Amino acid sequence: MPPETPQNGEYLVAAYVIATAILLGYWGALLRRARRLLKEKD
Amino acid sequence: MPDSLRLALAIAAKDIRAELRSRTALQSALVFAALVLVVFNFARDPTVLAATDLAPSVLWVTFALAAMVALNRAFNVERENAALDGLLLAPVPREALFLGKLLANLAFVGTVELVTLPLFMLFFNVSLGRALPGLLGVTALATIGFVSVGTIFSAMAVRTRFAELMLPVLLLPFMVPPLIAAVQVTSRLLADRPLSEMWGWLRLLALYDIVFVTLCMMAFSAVVDE
Amino acid sequence: MTAPLAQAAGVVRRGLVLGGIGLLALGGVYVLALGHTPVEARQGLAQKIFYLHVPAAWAALVSFSLVGIASALYLWLKDPRLDRFAAASAEVGVVFSAVMLTTGPIWAKPIWGTWWTWDARLTLTLFVFFLFIGYLGLRAAVHDPAERARFSAVVGILGMLLVPFIHLSVYLFRTLHPQPIVLKPSAPSLPPEMLTTLLISTLVFTLLYLGFVTTRYGLALVDEAREEARDAT
Repeated sequence: MPPETPQNGEYLVAAYVIATAILLGYWGALLRRARRLLKEKD
Repeated sequence: MPDSLRLALAIAAKDIRAELRSRTALQSALVFAALVLVVFNFARDPTVLAATDLAPSVLWVTFALAAMVALNRAFNVERENAALDGLLLAPVPREALFLGKLLANLAFVGTVELVTLPLFMLFFNVSLGRALPGLLGVTALATIGFVSVGTIFSAMAVRTRFAELMLPVLLLPFMVPPLIAAVQVTSRLLADRPLSEMWGWLRLLALYDIVFVTLCMMAFSAVVDE
Repeated sequence: MTAPLAQAAGVVRRGLVLGGIGLLALGGVYVLALGHTPVEARQGLAQKIFYLHVPAAWAALVSFSLVGIASALYLWLKDPRLDRFAAASAEVGVVFSAVMLTTGPIWAKPIWGTWWTWDARLTLTLFVFFLFIGYLGLRAAVHDPAERARFSAVVGILGMLLVPFIHLSVYLFRTLHPQPIVLKPSAPSLPPEMLTTLLISTLVFTLLYLGFVTTRYGLALVDEAREEARDAT
């Protein structure tokens, strides 16, 4: 009988959520910094 | 070249004399080494973990930590005396300057290691006997490796705000290959294994030394010159 | 707005747009990975972490290599643009390393049964991360721009040369200490959907790298332009 495919979907979700948070978070931080630096130019 | 070598030895001698006068770096490193050995000895259960299993790692952790203490203190003393500035004004080739600093640092760290070794034999009941020459050899090789990188990094760290934190943070990844190799060779030496089992590691150590001493020598100018 | 500031702002905007497109494309990769790739029989759903972890690791290593190369070139050519680029690449490299070092253990736990092992690849990636952190820490601690550039360049070059030694020592360690056979996460021959998705994901991560580095580079330019404007008044 072939081995059961393991049920580990929660790991998948955790990994994808964390990766998204990091990448989106970094982009957001860059955006915020850009806004702050370019707003007070005058 | 012999001129530069003489210069390097002179610089090294000056540093060593300065340290012998103040002794602060040596003292802190030695106390530190003894402390680590004692703590490790009490931290293990002798019935579960034989001394010979743990011994190489303990020895090398001790050497590594004591080296960092010695490196930091050595350059701090230099900075406090502003002696480096004087040296830099003179037309001293930076490679010779680096070599001199390296030799002085090796002398400090080497002394700590030579004192730690008998303490280690004592606390861990390890008989070194036949392993001693090999042990001295591998200690020299590994120490040259991480002290050369440590010398250039402490020259940098001393010019930053968080010097005491900066040196270990920068140096740690660079200590990994020499430490892994040193522990592997040490454990085989203590177990009386044939040389053939250590050859790969010894070659790694030698290559590391050649590459990094050369590189650090060449890069030293970028650190100390404007 | 002064001319250099306007130019810098342009770079930042381009970078952010590029990064934004990359993130949207990443969403597309998610759809592909979750919807269109087969579920690996032995590893289950968790195997799909592969489509994020491998490209992130690759991007981190590329970032790191570029820091090393830019560092070497800087010491030779003394061009401040190289230093600015190295700093940007290092910061972005840390981000990708973070993705790699989080997705890796989350993948390893269900597959290998342990969060971490000291095998060659993992150890290497961990130490690349430490080197990045040290590099950025050093930059933060040195104020004079010329000194900061020189010091960072030295660390960058030494770091780049350290990598083969770490790899060698861990490899020697593993081969001389035979380990129990572990399940290899990447099968030698991937079904076409898996391979395509992996390649697309790698392209998306490259896009993200370009977008992020451009933005970060631009922000450094903005900083410098504002410094100059402040000094001029």
